[in-house]
Amino acid sequence: MVVESKLAPIRKGLLEFLVLKIVGVRSVYVPDILKRLADTEFATQEGTLYPLLSKLRREDLVQYEWQESDAGPPRKYYRLTDAGKTQLAALDEYWNRINRTIADMGH
Amino acid sequence: MRRISVTVSLNRSTLQFDDAAYARLERYLDESASLLEGDPDPQEILNDLEQAVADQCTHRMASGQAVVTLAELEPALEEIGSVQVPGAATASERPMPNTARPLRQVSEGAVISGVCLGLARYFGFDVTLLRVFAVLLLLLSGGGVILVYLALMLLLPYAPLEPGGKPPRWLPRKSREFIEFLRAKLHVATN
Repeated sequence: MVVESKLAPIRKGLLEFLVLKIVGVRSVYVPDILKRLADTEFATQEGTLYPLLSKLRREDLVQYEWQESDAGPPRKYYRLTDAGKTQLAALDEYWNRINRTIADMGH
Repeated sequence: MRRISVTVSLNRSTLQFDDAAYARLERYLDESASLLEGDPDPQEILNDLEQAVADQCTHRMASGQAVVTLAELEPALEEIGSVQVPGAATASERPMPNTARPLRQVSEGAVISGVCLGLARYFGFDVTLLRVFAVLLLLLSGGGVILVYLALMLLLPYAPLEPGGKPPRWLPRKSREFIEFLRAKLHVATN
């Protein structure tokens, strides 16, 4: 568990990136995002996700629309804005660069 | 006569809660609101959380069950988790001014119930000194302090448990469970 706790701040910081990635695939609602992350190192909760999505929406990276559901009240479906797509591409590229740096280190 | 249930409108859903569950829900939403202090748009997040609570409770209710009780609400809140503000330090690393921090019992690291720890955090005392002082007072007062302690135990709200933090010891955990049970029975609202 020592290893996990050492990288805890990084995992926390990467959550936003991962949420952008998930929302970038197709429009999703929050339980979809939770399910996608559930079995990974980035498993999270609604109490974390809603404030994050609210921040991303304010930054104009995601937007949502209401969709009727068969069971229960309408749901908020999130998708990326154009600015969100641009930022996701930039983050992806930067993350790959970091990975290469890490891989090259120690050679 | 006892009030059986409260009708609660949660964002776009309406549900019936019994009194204990209603008090717990109110506490969760108040805690969330205070954690979101400083957020430019807390209402949106609170609406989302209300909807999440409604969905989770509905999902957990037996068919034909009309009223939400703690049996559904507690696991629902557990799953939703407490509010984490993106980019902010977690509660343990964030220095908070005394004025913004309510006086609460702190279960993690507590010896009995967390009253001394809560008081020490609130007033910025050293907790060990405060405990020594409390024991001295106990010896000198001939037991009067015990009543004060019990009263504070019953009345002071509990600080939310730190997710992923060190769990409380056996006695603080049991006393917290007992007091929360008692409060639900007596309908004592602490926040």
